[in-house]
Amino acid sequence: MRTTLKIDPVSLGALATGRSGVIASLELSSDERAWIEAMGLSPGREVTVLRRGVLGGPLHVRLDTGAEFAVDAELARRVVLAGEAQ
Amino acid sequence: MLVGRPNAGKSSLFNRLTGGGARVGNFPGITVEVLEGAATFGDRKVRVLDLPGLYSLASTSEGETDEGVARRFIDGLGAARATTVLVQVMDATCPALGLRLTRDLLARGLALVVVATQRDVLEAQGRTLDVEALTAATGVPFLAVCSKDASARDAVLAAALAALDGPVAPTAPTFDPDALGRAALRDASSVSAEAMRARERTARLDRWLLHPHLGPAIFVALMASLFSAVFLVADPASALVEGVMRALAGAVGPRLGDGLLRSFVVDGLLGGAGTVLIFLPQIVVLTVAMELLDASGYLARGVFLVDRLLRGFGLGGRAFVPLLTGHACAVPAISATRIIRDPRERLTTILVIPLMTCSARIPTYAVLLSAFFASRGAWFRAGLFVALYFFGIAAGLVASAVLRRTATRGRSLPLVLEMPAYHTPEARVVMRTATRAASRFLRDVGTTILVASALLWALLSVPMPAALDRAGDTRAMPAAVARMHHSVAAGLGRALEPVTLVAGFDWRVNVGLMGSFGARELMVGTLGVITGLEDVDDDGEALAVRLREIKRPDGSEAYSTATGLGLMAFFVIACQCMSTVAAIKRETRSWGWALFTLGWTYAVGFALAVAVYQVARLVGA
Repeated sequence: MRTTLKIDPVSLGALATGRSGVIASLELSSDERAWIEAMGLSPGREVTVLRRGVLGGPLHVRLDTGAEFAVDAELARRVVLAGEAQ
Repeated sequence: MLVGRPNAGKSSLFNRLTGGGARVGNFPGITVEVLEGAATFGDRKVRVLDLPGLYSLASTSEGETDEGVARRFIDGLGAARATTVLVQVMDATCPALGLRLTRDLLARGLALVVVATQRDVLEAQGRTLDVEALTAATGVPFLAVCSKDASARDAVLAAALAALDGPVAPTAPTFDPDALGRAALRDASSVSAEAMRARERTARLDRWLLHPHLGPAIFVALMASLFSAVFLVADPASALVEGVMRALAGAVGPRLGDGLLRSFVVDGLLGGAGTVLIFLPQIVVLTVAMELLDASGYLARGVFLVDRLLRGFGLGGRAFVPLLTGHACAVPAISATRIIRDPRERLTTILVIPLMTCSARIPTYAVLLSAFFASRGAWFRAGLFVALYFFGIAAGLVASAVLRRTATRGRSLPLVLEMPAYHTPEARVVMRTATRAASRFLRDVGTTILVASALLWALLSVPMPAALDRAGDTRAMPAAVARMHHSVAAGLGRALEPVTLVAGFDWRVNVGLMGSFGARELMVGTLGVITGLEDVDDDGEALAVRLREIKRPDGSEAYSTATGLGLMAFFVIACQCMSTVAAIKRETRSWGWALFTLGWTYAVGFALAVAVYQVARLVGA
């Protein structure tokens, strides 16, 4: 029997609170991507969802650098993660 | 010229270089200003400029935001390019982020030096930044310093001057910021112990402050106390200013006779200066409060909590503080919109702030309510008062939703906001920011208010030949009353009467509304004078009696409950405040938006007044 290790790409917006993932890509316009990468949310960084604002509010996330951000929920859905870290 | 990301340590280095001070904070906006200081090195004099923090040179943001100001400054150097060195300040504990900005700055082709600060923090962790490797890879001189050391000053100045004299680094850099950052700093992904402690403390606080139920409650309590601080601290101070201005008018007035000159100096000039000064305590209190919220790191949490709420109206979380501030006074609130990064959201917020029930409306509402609704019970008046207050908020939110679909439509920038670790603000820095806000207000808004006061005075006091004929016999009236009856404003008021009567406003109300453009509270005084009173007491009782006495030609009361309701409706919407208009002009850098605000609020206010007046008459009020 063969087992395939399959890593589903998941968006930051879909990540459960308390879980982490590594940013794979940002599906944003080049302007927005440049700005957000400059702030530190760039591919390769591990990101953890600390909490969510009520009623679909922003996500409170922490990067592996220690920096924390409030990220709009809709934008978070366009941040693609390379699978969920354990 | 110092550039760098917010929180990179620019302000401390600026202090070290110039011996002076600069404000610190991640959320500056409140004062988007380029700080300037001087330093000497050997026989060379250096001007040190501290630009607002920026993340990148590539992103889109409006000229008036921090990033926009910094970028425009760099791009607009012109002839000064040859004598300018960019000193990029980066946090030595996190070089990869700073290196991205280095790449952007190199592309501008200016002399560049990179100063990595917080070397002491790095060394305390037993780590070092390999500045030689960074210099070799980027072609830019790097140095690592600790801003707390006195030696940092000379090291930075020497490096900057050497860079100015030497060749400029290649403008097409090829390095990869992340890889280089990791290579230069061993174990770069691990977080420093000190930062870790700050983060732990922050996480503990955030558990309470961002709690789904408790967080909003704490936020509301904090905002309520900020708001009451404006009344508790600023109001007595404003009253003091008012008293001083009145005493001054009393001292100067009698020396100028009883003619137009006295009226111009006392009512026009001193009155205008008083209007300007009365705002000062509020501006200072609000700036201090905002600065404390910002520097402590709480402001970002507040934005996190309310962002969703305001998104529905086309605004973001950052609009909350300016909108709240607008309930004290629109003038500082409009300056406070600088914390909004999105240009459309910022403009929309500026345009709807005048709808918030500012503190100047409150006494005016109170007097008008007792003047027009004297026959109604106290409960009726109190209920109407509360209704007016919340109607302002509702109107503001509806207006912003409408504006975002019309005049300011377009996509918002998504919210990505750094949530800094909590820390204690420095009193010295907070006070300096408040002083700067006050002087900027006096300079920019104050002058416009003074000019407008003088014009308004002319409108209300200078006689108009045509008005003389229509005013009838005014010989029996006190001088001030007679003067206003002959004024250009009275002439205009009468000319507009056929139109404004649809809303129940006769020519006297029109004159009152013109007077209230100076400041809303002037409505009561102007209406008093035009109806024949020389002095209106604060409870409006004399005005109430006077208003009941005035009859239409057909014998009916000229000012019914319906008139009062229509007038109130107009007051809620119309931006009848020259100070606000001046502030909008300053912040949007265009008369266009200032006049737009004036136009739409007057039009909608009048339409609403007509609707309210006509409906009230139908139901027999």
